[in-house]
Amino acid sequence: MERENRFWRVVLLFLPLSVFAVFVVWPLFSSFWYSFTDWNGFNPDYAFVGLDNYARIWTDRLFYGAIINTAMWMVAAIVLPTLLGLALALLLDRQIRGARIFKTIFYLPICLSAIVVGQIWTWIYQPDWGLLNAIISFVAGEPFTHAWLARPGSALWSVIVAWSWQQTGLSMVIYLAGLTAIPSDLLEVCDIEGATPWQRIRRVVVPLLIPSTIVVIALSVINSLKGFDILYIMTGGGPFHSSDTLAMHMYNESFKKYLMGYGSAISVVLFLIALVIIGFYFRQLKRIDEIYG
Amino acid sequence: MRSMAERQAFPLTPWTAALIAMLIMLAVLFLTPTVGVLLSSIKTTRAIALGDLWSIPGELFLGNYAEVLSNPAVHRYFVNTVIVTVPATAASTALGVLAGYVFAKLPFRGASILFLAIVAGMFFPPQVILVPLFRLFNGVGLIDTLWPIFLVHTALGIPICTLLMRNFFATVPNALREAAILEGASEWQVLTRVAIPLALPALAVLATLQFTWIWNDFLWPLIFTQSDEKRTIMIGIVNLKGQYTVAWGVQGALSLIASLPTLVIFLFFQRYFIKGMTMGAVKG
Amino acid sequence: MARVTLENIRKSFGTIEVIRDVSLDIDRGEFMVLVGPSGCGKSTMLRLISGLEDVSDGTIMIGGRDVTRVAPSRRRLAMVFQSYALFPHLDVAGNIGFGLSLARTPAGEIERRVRDVAERLSIADLLTRMPRQLSGGERQRVAIGRAIIRDPEVFLFDEPLSNLDAALRVRMRLEIARLHKALDGVTMIYVTHDQTEAMTLADRIAVINQGRIEQVGTPMELYHHPANTFVAGFIGAPAMNFLDGAVDDSGAVTFAGVTIMPSQPVSRRGRATIGLRPESFRLAGTGEADLVARLDHVEPLGAETLLHFDTPLTVRVNDVVPAVEGDTLGLVVDRTRIHIFPP
Repeated sequence: MERENRFWRVVLLFLPLSVFAVFVVWPLFSSFWYSFTDWNGFNPDYAFVGLDNYARIWTDRLFYGAIINTAMWMVAAIVLPTLLGLALALLLDRQIRGARIFKTIFYLPICLSAIVVGQIWTWIYQPDWGLLNAIISFVAGEPFTHAWLARPGSALWSVIVAWSWQQTGLSMVIYLAGLTAIPSDLLEVCDIEGATPWQRIRRVVVPLLIPSTIVVIALSVINSLKGFDILYIMTGGGPFHSSDTLAMHMYNESFKKYLMGYGSAISVVLFLIALVIIGFYFRQLKRIDEIYG
Repeated sequence: MRSMAERQAFPLTPWTAALIAMLIMLAVLFLTPTVGVLLSSIKTTRAIALGDLWSIPGELFLGNYAEVLSNPAVHRYFVNTVIVTVPATAASTALGVLAGYVFAKLPFRGASILFLAIVAGMFFPPQVILVPLFRLFNGVGLIDTLWPIFLVHTALGIPICTLLMRNFFATVPNALREAAILEGASEWQVLTRVAIPLALPALAVLATLQFTWIWNDFLWPLIFTQSDEKRTIMIGIVNLKGQYTVAWGVQGALSLIASLPTLVIFLFFQRYFIKGMTMGAVKG
Repeated sequence: MARVTLENIRKSFGTIEVIRDVSLDIDRGEFMVLVGPSGCGKSTMLRLISGLEDVSDGTIMIGGRDVTRVAPSRRRLAMVFQSYALFPHLDVAGNIGFGLSLARTPAGEIERRVRDVAERLSIADLLTRMPRQLSGGERQRVAIGRAIIRDPEVFLFDEPLSNLDAALRVRMRLEIARLHKALDGVTMIYVTHDQTEAMTLADRIAVINQGRIEQVGTPMELYHHPANTFVAGFIGAPAMNFLDGAVDDSGAVTFAGVTIMPSQPVSRRGRATIGLRPESFRLAGTGEADLVARLDHVEPLGAETLLHFDTPLTVRVNDVVPAVEGDTLGLVVDRTRIHIFPP
């Protein structure tokens, strides 16, 4: 039997593993290699430049800006979609008439592409007739025409808000799944013990949602590292690179300036950051498994 | 059980009324952006420029849709996107079935490490493999064709597909596989005659997820295609932005049309979609 | 049709040895039950015989043919799983005919043979049902149908009754016994942890513990002449009482402060473990008590009564006993049924 099993293992795994190896694993390692070269994207040849690209990172002001922006994005990613998703899930995890419609509304943005989401929010931020300024004008009683996406101070945060609008649905879905997994007898115990709804949420439900919270936060942070499409269409990293993220900066250096070697070095940094977060995430998942079964 | 208890615990009190009011407010807030596009798509550019975007229109203006649908470039974008999305969805799902089956039913020494390594692949930002893939496809002359997009999406779909399929196959009792083997089935027959027929719901989950993800993708077509003939719909939206700079209504109509396939899939297969999202706890 | 022979079978998973040098000869047409506590290796033995698991060492012969390296489906055996392992996406007919359709048997022949088997098991009216629409007993019959349609020479059962409720279990036990009679000459190997099933079904029982066979024999041999304390304690319910004791030079047995001369000669001398089944006692009349013990707890079961003494000792008597906890009762030991084991 083991002989047959060995045969089928090889046969069935051959195709998936080779496709994955050629188009994912090999490029990953090549990125390290190219980060030590000066490849320009056109010329088949390149020279080995040692640690030059990494030295350059050290002095690249735009890189620092991108790191800080990425960090801010991460912080926002931990706060916005997580809290909003939790609130929505708590509100919707009960028999309210039309709960299904509400849920659909909140996770509808998930199925939209980042490009479309970016497009939509560009209109909301439009200085002259965008909804945001219209509301502010209405409240303030005087015309308000802040160009949200064209000002260095507001561009990044405007994009992050748009991104969170899309991400919240995902957090809500994960929290809802976590809520349905809470055994109903635990909640009945609360009723018997005479807990108020608020006590029930704070003392029982939220602690039991810790595993979901870890998943939500990890995914938000990981996804924030991928923030690119929505940025590309809304600000392109501008104005004056004020909304550049690492992913954007890497793209610009590689495919705008054709510094593929330098771009690779940035992607290696990106990889290492992602590796730390993913490693942490997997460790937490294992712990969740051990504690909560 | 639970729903009954909940129903009794929440009669219409001021407390629940406040909750519902809050929900409605949030829902409106969440719907506004989408409604905005919808409105813009049925208004003339003039009306929008005059600040009339957010009012309910008196009459339906379909000129924007006519404009988008008569544009041959849009047709091309659509065809290209379908050519990439459908095969890549099928291929990544199929590869995930193969790998997931092995990890669930034919485990081996080191399998869990390998599995973890594959699954980790779905969390890394794609920028990490951008340059080498560009060089690879440039070297073999496939830049500005649809092939690299198909291949990369197939490969990048393997982690999530393998994860979901392994998790599904893990719920299929081992005894079923063993019973089939005793009846004379080869492993391939166990897979095709027992495991896959049982996995149809899981396959639906995966297919909707993969389709949406690939359809909506922007980065890979941006990197791998250059000419307008090979662009996909999401690039098309960005490209046509220049052509219709102030034609906001046309842009709105284009965005809606481009989102239609995923919207339809989402609305019809919502249950599957959500299930996949939570099972993989995945990519946005 | 087929004799099953295991010769020096060993099986290890990694460094853990789960089957340690097992040899067993099962006659053609015999009903052999492998019984033991959970985790003893009995299910592994069944899987080794079926070929779903490779032996680490040793030889398996079926019908005189060495099948140690033969694929499971070519061993001419069929298996009924604990969960029945019916394919949820196929109806009853599809389940029973699954193996035939894999072998590309013509549809007409499959249908004919499926119907034939279904009629023998009186499930012909269920053929278009899906497994989830069946009751536990019906599922078992379908599983048996799927097994017998292939005319196996050896039938393997892996705890087939443990998912059923108590009443159904008794009924299906009878059905399996009847099936064994009907399928003349088919060897059956049956794994269970339930010694009652083992006793009622088996021609012979192999008691397994920690990967070894402790004893093989007919149910009555095992009951009356257990080879060691493990078998003695495992077979029979409630379990045999074990008491520390000794045998003196004359062959007299001493335990719990009593000395008794067994009716059969005892070869062992010195310290010993004395085994007494709960039914090897009776309540003493005046002046005949071998030992006196204080009653701890009474369990009236209707037809019989279990008396738990603080010695500790469990005694089964057939009458209603007008005694309550704390009473002191005199007991007489049946001298023909004293088991002596090494200490």
